[in-house]
Amino acid sequence: MTTLLSRRTRRGPSPEQKEPVTVEEGTSAAEWVRRVMSRQETTLAIVVVVVGVLAAMKSDLFLDSDNLLEILRSSVIYFVMGCGAGLLIIGGGLDFAAGAIFTLSALMASKMLVSSVPWPIAILGGLALAALVGAINHVVITYWHVPPIIATLGMFYMLTGVDNLVTGGNDVIGLPQVVQDIGQGSILGVPNIVLIAIVVGLWFWVLLERTRFGVNVRALGGNRAAAVANGVRATRVDLALYVLSAVTAGLAGVIYSARVGSAQVTAGGSSTTLIVVTAVLIGGVSLLGGLGSIQGIAIGAVLLSLIDNALVLSNIPPQYNTIVVGAILVGAVAIDHLRRERIFRKR
Amino acid sequence: MAADRATPALQLRGVKKFFGSVSALEDVALDAYAGEVHAIVGDNGAGKSTTIKIITGIHSADEGDVMVQGERMASRRSAADAHEHGVSVVYQDLALVECLDIAHNMALGNLPRKYGVILDRRKMEREAAVVLKELKVRVGNVRTPVGLLSGGQRQVVAIARAVRMDKPIILLDEPTAALGVQETAHVGEIIDELKAAGKAVICVTHDLDFAFKHADKVTVLRLGRSVGTRTVADVSRDEVVGLITGAIPGDTRTAEVA
Repeated sequence: MTTLLSRRTRRGPSPEQKEPVTVEEGTSAAEWVRRVMSRQETTLAIVVVVVGVLAAMKSDLFLDSDNLLEILRSSVIYFVMGCGAGLLIIGGGLDFAAGAIFTLSALMASKMLVSSVPWPIAILGGLALAALVGAINHVVITYWHVPPIIATLGMFYMLTGVDNLVTGGNDVIGLPQVVQDIGQGSILGVPNIVLIAIVVGLWFWVLLERTRFGVNVRALGGNRAAAVANGVRATRVDLALYVLSAVTAGLAGVIYSARVGSAQVTAGGSSTTLIVVTAVLIGGVSLLGGLGSIQGIAIGAVLLSLIDNALVLSNIPPQYNTIVVGAILVGAVAIDHLRRERIFRKR
Repeated sequence: MAADRATPALQLRGVKKFFGSVSALEDVALDAYAGEVHAIVGDNGAGKSTTIKIITGIHSADEGDVMVQGERMASRRSAADAHEHGVSVVYQDLALVECLDIAHNMALGNLPRKYGVILDRRKMEREAAVVLKELKVRVGNVRTPVGLLSGGQRQVVAIARAVRMDKPIILLDEPTAALGVQETAHVGEIIDELKAAGKAVICVTHDLDFAFKHADKVTVLRLGRSVGTRTVADVSRDEVVGLITGAIPGDTRTAEVA
């Protein structure tokens, strides 16, 4: 992860840039250290290490490789959802329906699976339904001018009702073995679902950092009027963002079902929505839009999963979990704001 | 005004705009030619900003025509369409994204790509550096976030973006409003260079000194009408001020000016 963090600052003058006008920063070691240290991801990585060291001191089990893998495995859901939800927040939107889409896609895919639909088609079916919900969110927000928080909250309630209606409140159980093998298996010791999360993360990283679309997303989130004035097609970008957010929520739901072997009506829901948004914000994504990174979201997701794990292993009552998470969330956003005041002249 | 050098690069005819029952533009006409700096002056509320917004497509005209190189533009269009028609704009609020760096801001809306999908950051940064160097701008690293720049630096970055787009028509909305003496002189030099490069430069300004120093023609707006277009070399400052305030009545019909 550190190579990703420092890539931008470490790169020296490239051969084509002999123009004296591109005064390169980051050539001195001190400057490099300053820039890396000023990033939220660095602060977070330090917090992760500190929590890890404390946990290792309290419990011998913590550093066990199975336990470390379990931390990664349980962070997969937060991270996969966080990629779509975080990208949307960077672009100036918000999706509170994610937790219900999680359940909806899991139920849809599972219903198809238990009806003997081939598994790739069933999974695509679940994701397609999620994409449709994302598109509806976009229509309500863009054309009906309902603020994103209201539109997606309304969608959340409606989908929760739908989820319960179509299942009668019963879980869909007995998923085919092939799907459970994907959800529970591993390759060379690395759980499959962690590999899936890595692929999803890389895809989103390239999308955000290395494509026009990613720059347009940041521009819309950073200053919507300016982006539009410069010819960024806001409506198209928004549609893609809401669909991506919904699809990652759906994918997380499908992954979760594959892992546990059933689709649970009570999985997902409002707590999942909030935890994902929390992971994204702790990871340095600004609720004001424009700022944030996939690597930050990854660290945020791992940190939440790590705290969960460390508290259990340290025999600290679970009630403390939410206290700690809440404090970290508030602290992370406050630190981020202070940092931004120092970086930017306005805001 | 008949001495046409081919068709006007930008032409407005009988443009009207209402906001509800309020009439913002009554009748605006304008002919801007390549290789000329055309100033649009007028008091507050004369319709300068509305005129700019209609040209760029942020507002749509209720009546009248906007023609680029003789081609009529659809009244309903987006800012992206204006780009495609060869108009680049420097907005009064600059339209910069603070959290993006200088190079990204300069390329926004027209980001270079390689392999069809991947952002060509090297090309983007090189182009930004070249334009800034041509404009003799010192803003340091093109990777500096715009949020870190001073007002004057931001203004120059916004102009540099329009220059980088390399469109035949450049529109500047109050480019010197927020600038000091030295920065204003610098912007004036850039405008002179754009003119020398054969661009049609249209500059909305309330700064008459600036207009008289750099513009070839000046069109005066008053209460939503273009009340007269004059060649700067042939007109006195008093006459322009008179047209702005209404002390001198405008040309009877703007249509006849053209």
